[in-house]
Amino acid sequence: MSDSSELVIRLPNDIGGMPADPINPIDHDLAPWEKRCHALADVLDFHKIINTEEKRCGVEALGAEMIGKLSYYERWIVAFSNILLRKGILTPTDIALKMKEVAARYS
Amino acid sequence: MTHTEHDHDHNEHDHPHAEINQTEKPTYYDMLETAIRELLIERKLFEADEIRRQIEVLDSRTPALGAKVVARAWIDPNFRKRLLANGRTACEEDFGITFYDDTELIVLENTDKVHNLIVCTLCSCYPRPVLGLPPDWYKLKPYRARAVSEPRKVLAEFGTTIPDDVEVRVSDSTAMVRYLVLPKRPKGTETFTEEELADLVTRDAMIGVVEPKLENGSAAHV
Repeated sequence: MSDSSELVIRLPNDIGGMPADPINPIDHDLAPWEKRCHALADVLDFHKIINTEEKRCGVEALGAEMIGKLSYYERWIVAFSNILLRKGILTPTDIALKMKEVAARYS
Repeated sequence: MTHTEHDHDHNEHDHPHAEINQTEKPTYYDMLETAIRELLIERKLFEADEIRRQIEVLDSRTPALGAKVVARAWIDPNFRKRLLANGRTACEEDFGITFYDDTELIVLENTDKVHNLIVCTLCSCYPRPVLGLPPDWYKLKPYRARAVSEPRKVLAEFGTTIPDDVEVRVSDSTAMVRYLVLPKRPKGTETFTEEELADLVTRDAMIGVVEPKLENGSAAHV
């Protein structure tokens, strides 16, 4: 059995029971955008646009590398944009143009 | 970096989305959140006010809420019974706590024979309506990975030792079902009021990684 089979058997979120480092009991106050992102997730769920399981699945679909490198709410917002694209609610152009507009507010 | 926001601060700049207190360029992800939110509001999928109101809801949920529920269960056997039968209904009926995420709540009672611990191995499911948002360590790999396979070692890292003859039971949360630990009432609190009892109940005690303690000095009774 090749090592790659482990990637198939265990998706990135499925880490229960795996060996891991000692607990580092860290916490942080959410940045304003993180709190907005959380509220956005709840509102998307209330309106049945993206539910909790779709969100979790969307994070998993980012793949191990992104899951490892992005922070918790970074993974959420990227998963949301991917899910909204897949559902046809937004297009890549919509997001690209709006990102440009948002960035211009700070230049 | 130069900033033009300065000018905006002094004028009533007519821009509906201007975040005029922003002094540094936000991160890519911060801007992505703004972009997605504004696009969905423009498409009338929801209103800006819903986000603002949900932030208020999130801010209103802290472990102090769960602590009140635990203290009530310690002093009121009837409430305790109803809480253990259906956590969500008891919290809704007696404390007016809304379960905005539409999750079920199962309350797990610690006894002399069983110590409970909650985790979400897949992600970060947590009893948010009664505890607020989970701490970072709850969402990170070491806790999620190890809580189910070596809970006693994990507990030891939080300074908690559960006697060998007490079963450690770990409950893995899901998108729909969340857990809350009802810790054992500490000895020596027989004369405490409900409010004083609630002060002893910490977030970590309701996750199950510590036991409520009667610290020296925390006892209001002299």
